[in-house]
Amino acid sequence: MISESVKETLEKINKSGLEGDVYGIESRNVTYSIKKGEISDISDSEEVGMGIRVQKDGKIGFAYCVPGKEERCVLKAKKLSKFSQELDLTFPSTKNVPDVKTFDAKIKRAMEGDEGIDLTQNMLEAANGVKKDIIPTGGGLKLMVGKIVVGNTSGTLLEEKKTKIVCGITATIKGEITSLTASEADCSRRLDLEVETVGKTAAKKVDSMRESSSIETGPQTVVMSPDAFSNILWFTLAQSISGENVRKSKSYFKGKLGESVADSNVNLLDDPTREWGMGSTGFDDEGVATSPLHIISDGILKNFLYDLKEGVRSNTESTGNGIRGNFKSPPQICDRNLVLTGGDNKTDSMFPKDGVYIDGVMGAHTSNPVSGDFSIVANPAWLIERGEKVGRLDGIMLSGNIHECLGRIELGNDHRRTYLQMGARDIKVELPSVRITEMSISSG
Amino acid sequence: MTLKKIVDVLTDKGANFCDIRKERWESTLLTLKDGKIERMVSGEEEGAMVRVLFQNGWGCVGTSALERLNDAAERALGMAKQNDRFKSEETGLASIEPYTGKSYMPAEIKFEDVSFEEKMSFMDELHGSLQRDHVKTIDIHYKDSVVQKEIVNSEGTHVEMQIPRLITYMIITGKNNGRIQQASEGVGGTGGYELKEGVYEKVDTVLNRLHDLLEAEAAPSGKLPLIMDHHLTGVFVHEAFGHAAEADLVVSGNSCLENKLGEMVAGENVTIIDDPTFPGYGSFPYDDEGTKTRRRVLVDAGKLNDYIMDRESAWKLGLEPNGGARAEDFRVKPIVRMSNTLLKARDMKMDELLEGVDRGIYARSSSGGQVSPAQGTFQFNAQVAYLIEDGELTKPLRDVSFSGFTLDTLKNIVGITDEMKTGVGHCGKGQTAAVSDGGPQVLISEVTVGGR
Repeated sequence: MISESVKETLEKINKSGLEGDVYGIESRNVTYSIKKGEISDISDSEEVGMGIRVQKDGKIGFAYCVPGKEERCVLKAKKLSKFSQELDLTFPSTKNVPDVKTFDAKIKRAMEGDEGIDLTQNMLEAANGVKKDIIPTGGGLKLMVGKIVVGNTSGTLLEEKKTKIVCGITATIKGEITSLTASEADCSRRLDLEVETVGKTAAKKVDSMRESSSIETGPQTVVMSPDAFSNILWFTLAQSISGENVRKSKSYFKGKLGESVADSNVNLLDDPTREWGMGSTGFDDEGVATSPLHIISDGILKNFLYDLKEGVRSNTESTGNGIRGNFKSPPQICDRNLVLTGGDNKTDSMFPKDGVYIDGVMGAHTSNPVSGDFSIVANPAWLIERGEKVGRLDGIMLSGNIHECLGRIELGNDHRRTYLQMGARDIKVELPSVRITEMSISSG
Repeated sequence: MTLKKIVDVLTDKGANFCDIRKERWESTLLTLKDGKIERMVSGEEEGAMVRVLFQNGWGCVGTSALERLNDAAERALGMAKQNDRFKSEETGLASIEPYTGKSYMPAEIKFEDVSFEEKMSFMDELHGSLQRDHVKTIDIHYKDSVVQKEIVNSEGTHVEMQIPRLITYMIITGKNNGRIQQASEGVGGTGGYELKEGVYEKVDTVLNRLHDLLEAEAAPSGKLPLIMDHHLTGVFVHEAFGHAAEADLVVSGNSCLENKLGEMVAGENVTIIDDPTFPGYGSFPYDDEGTKTRRRVLVDAGKLNDYIMDRESAWKLGLEPNGGARAEDFRVKPIVRMSNTLLKARDMKMDELLEGVDRGIYARSSSGGQVSPAQGTFQFNAQVAYLIEDGELTKPLRDVSFSGFTLDTLKNIVGITDEMKTGVGHCGKGQTAAVSDGGPQVLISEVTVGGR
């Protein structure tokens, strides 16, 4: 249905003697929510809509609508175009895109039957089975299936089907005054998640938090799990690798292309072609074919991300990073699948004699995206003594600067994909555990 | 088929309860970056959410295909039956008198009566007023929206409402000694285009904040006394306390305020209110279950007095629902949310707060925060802060974050000033909600500060 609507809209734009592109989405999500040890409700949400860009006299106008309202929407976009700056965008004529695996029919089938509820139930039972006083108080499982259609007046017409499964659980031990909680989550584009492992891991994690320890304010060697460090990395670095922010001097990396910006072991790649990657796609939301992009290679800054518009403004090409949060948003520059590599340390051997292990953080989104400074709560966190995790640390704060951290970071070998939805943002990073020395810790 | 007929069919098929919330949205979003229009978006959409309670199971379907609302209703019923098979805990809804009525929230200047040219001209003027030597980039954001809602349920409630909202804010950056800093301010509310006038009063504030940030030093670490300005007080009562007072978290075992109704959770000087009828960005006449809204005194002179509740959580707690159910749009089910959350002013002056601090932090405005309601822990980041030495503000500080335990911190509030100010923002809890929060300036005797 959405494919026809996109084609019809493109015909309308063509007939008006204008240029433009149309982004259409048709998607369905089914969510099984967990509250207090059981599935509290099942929700189903459908979305169909189109974002329409029209270019008149080199100026772009954007409007959105649901199918059936295309004519009015094209007129509105045309009307808005007169207010924008002249850009003279060349809409790409894309015929060949990489074949990227993004769709698993098993997820679609699971939505129709009982499989979704069974998976959620299995995750719950695994968490419930660890210890009697550990209760899965929140979380859920979400199945998603959708189709993206991108077409433009240069003849591009691309379609891609996508599926996703995301699950997570919060396990709680009730206390007299406050409770202990720990969470675990996983995600995939295929129906291959080990939901029982997710449930068990959350329960075991909170079980390991029963004993408390304390630590003095001061510098410490810190080991962080992939989940903890992906949050910090994304919120402090993602804006600085945008070509637009570089041009506008809102990036720490401005003027540093070709320079050393991290330890020589560090590699950061944005790879939309990664098989079954959470952000993988053969083409971006402007119809540009995707390819892997090296951002940092062996510690040297190599590239920035661009969409079509910024490509024109910065006198370069789009890197296929024009991304829309939904059909109501025009494209913006964003990473697809950030992949941090470069270490081969066995994660177990990364534990220092004394230090702190951090498995999650609170407030990473409050970091300074321009300077890379962060000052956040480490939770859950444990004291490391004689190379072993001992008691949990309550309320400690972790402060630092991402660019300084990248200069002395050591990476483990336990790579995993992390995925976090924060408002309209999808955070997708593949990375291992990391060790960083001399991190500032404030005691709780 | 009318909404009422669909509801009747679901009831005939065995639904204990069902409701339909139909919505129509129109919005305009403008972004001006360094004086040039970067983003101009206009659009409209409509759809509906059907909720069905069958025995103890819930099924909810949100769709933009209004012509196939019958199918969505059938699917919601099927999901409720599926959910019921896995439910052991009894589920119900606290009873309310069915509401019927229409409420159109007023707008002095309707958005539809204001041309794009006029909105552009406003943004240009605001841009001009922010141009200074120390300002390197200026982003101005503007969004207006009008939502029309119709809610029908199987108990006879049938309400219609219209809510117009506006938010506009500015983000400026500057650079000094290679360090880039950013400051932001904004205004908003429920009403019409007239609301944008308030932003001009914030221009000097944001310019001065950036100026101070460019001179600021790294903050000290450790346990220190801290004064929050009005904005941070608002963020504190919203994030650290308000989320824990959301009854869906309370009944699912995810709140540090569980089983504490009637207990002292703060000093006697602390009164916290959540009020959808207060004129703010988070105001609404009926909640998204069709319950008429009212003011809720959450903490009354230190005592936990009420939670924010939808009908299901109120039923579980044996209390009366108070209009706390909100949904981001028709695609999602309503969950318990705050509206306009305020700490009540007392009688002290700012000088008196400062006098009591030998060495501490004065933290101003917020760039966000996060909370764990179950553990009762929070983290906030101030846009700028100042070191307090011997009761005097001595130098500006950057990148100041602080954290603590909500229940300890509420009891550590030792001074509250006599003047209120509110701010606007968007709250995230899986869904986004327009909210206001605010209060006076507040001295906390000790929090953990994470500097460098």
